[in-house]
Amino acid sequence: MESNEVLIDCQSVWKVFGERSREAIRSIAERGLTKRDILGEYNCVVGVSDATLQVRRGEIFCIMGLSGSGKSTLIRLLNRLIEPSLGRVLVKGRDLSTLNAGALRETRARHIGMVFQSVALLPQRTVLENAAFGLEVQGVGRDERNRAAEASLAKVGLSDWKNRYPRELSGGMQQRVGLARALTSDPEIILMDEPFSALDPLIRRQLQDEFRQLTKDLGKSAVFITHDLDEAIRIGDRIAIMKDGVIIQEGTAEQIVMNPADQYVADFVAGISRLHLVKAHSVMIPVDQWRLQSHGASPDGLPHCSPEADIDALIGTITGTGSDAIAIADGGSIVGVVTTRSLLLGVRGEPEIRAAA
Amino acid sequence: MESFVTTFDSVVDDALFWLSDHAAFVFDAVRLVLEGLYDGVLWLLMLPPFWAVAVIAGLIGWRALSWGFGIGGAVALAACAAMGLWGETMQTLALVVAASVIALAISLPLGVLAGLMPRLDRALTPALDLVQTLPPYIYLLPAIALLGFGPATALVATVIVAVPPAIRLTSLGIRQTPGEFLELGQAVGASRAQMFWKIRLPFAVPSIMAGINQSLMMAFGMVVIAGIVGSGGLGETIYGAIRTLDIATSINASTAIVVLTMLLDRLTQAAARRS
Repeated sequence: MESNEVLIDCQSVWKVFGERSREAIRSIAERGLTKRDILGEYNCVVGVSDATLQVRRGEIFCIMGLSGSGKSTLIRLLNRLIEPSLGRVLVKGRDLSTLNAGALRETRARHIGMVFQSVALLPQRTVLENAAFGLEVQGVGRDERNRAAEASLAKVGLSDWKNRYPRELSGGMQQRVGLARALTSDPEIILMDEPFSALDPLIRRQLQDEFRQLTKDLGKSAVFITHDLDEAIRIGDRIAIMKDGVIIQEGTAEQIVMNPADQYVADFVAGISRLHLVKAHSVMIPVDQWRLQSHGASPDGLPHCSPEADIDALIGTITGTGSDAIAIADGGSIVGVVTTRSLLLGVRGEPEIRAAA
Repeated sequence: MESFVTTFDSVVDDALFWLSDHAAFVFDAVRLVLEGLYDGVLWLLMLPPFWAVAVIAGLIGWRALSWGFGIGGAVALAACAAMGLWGETMQTLALVVAASVIALAISLPLGVLAGLMPRLDRALTPALDLVQTLPPYIYLLPAIALLGFGPATALVATVIVAVPPAIRLTSLGIRQTPGEFLELGQAVGASRAQMFWKIRLPFAVPSIMAGINQSLMMAFGMVVIAGIVGSGGLGETIYGAIRTLDIATSINASTAIVVLTMLLDRLTQAAARRS
């Protein structure tokens, strides 16, 4: 499903708010001023600072940050609801800043759907009319757009509610309609701006799983904003962590949990369960090291697991077989060994190398 | 200072006289159109017998609000006829309807433009403040000078006081579109026209309906005052009763005005709630 085709290419994008933002931007480009300098010298707020990211086809890219981290600004730069102060955003290879008003509307209508935290369902319209809104704006005839809207309502399980009004629906159902509305126009990219933040924890988890499944089934790409690291890990193929307008780390959930870039990220990931996140290849020790520790024993006699087995599965193997080590085999050859010690360190989120140092 | 004031006054006077001398054909045409509109509405209202109008009003009241309001409204209208004021009541209604139609034809488009263009809104606000703070009698004077005695003058003065609230509330409604819906419109690629018709206007409708209701109420107030310039209707009845100290007639006519005002106020409010 995932390919290397880059759908959104965000290159060193800055957004500076304030009356003297032009001057501020010039001095960023010329003198390399920091965020604090900009606030002091120009009284301008840096919303997004030098953000670079790529979203590939079929990928769910999460941007995680607390409020004020610039994540909502960043997502709005991706469909030019906010103009970047500096840098470029390319969508399917086309620089958004070069598009005229008509071409920009066209790009938003056909290629980039958006789902909002506030849902923003038009209260005067039925669920069906809301779901068909994007196509209505594109001038698609009533029958055709209603058919498409019914199909996307079916995907989110709301076919029976199409003639109701938004106020008759629960929060979770309303957000499903918001997702259906974005899907009706069949865009390649869906921008999700904290869509589930206002929902109850149970409903939220349910929608997270449904969203991930649906996005993968339909082969869509998504940029998903959240302030909840658990949500980012559940949904995202890759995660970017933002703080004060800067992307401080980007990688898979496992990379971020195992190798936090700084103390800020480390504090964030401290409470995250590693059971399903960390894989054998992150907690295994080299075969030679194991031989030394076990006085030259051969790992061939140990139970075998793949490098992609998660900690939960490894614990299952150890407790099930009674062996205190597992050989990690990749394509017939043994690439490492997971010991109970390395497994315990992995549960705590410390790779063997750092624990040894 | 004093000489400046007298100069200013005489310039205004001269201008008014000059207008009535040289542009008489324009004002005659205006008067013809206004009186034609008034006569047309009045003819329609007087076409059915009073009880038919009362029953129709009662049915509308029942559908829009409740059966109690419908019956009450029909009985109250019939009472206006019983007091011998049916003709005057319908004349007043015709004045209010004609004035409101003209006022809304001006204020709704202007209010929409002001809502979309903050600079126009800023320019209009002091003008509307001025119109609303001056005593309403003032508008009768130049209208009399140019249009003479009669319903045309009453209409012009009534339109002037009925326009401001509808402009203000329409503009407010257009400006008050919640930000997330404007963002939605942009994100789905809506054009400016689609943004207005599909997003801004539906959210503005309740505020616009409140503006229409307020305009109607202002029109009622002015139509009574306009009795002084021979508007006809209940206003003139009251004005006559005041001059002859005929308390009974003035109470009857006031009752009829209250009935009309209440009916139209509640019905337009019901329409506003539905939208």
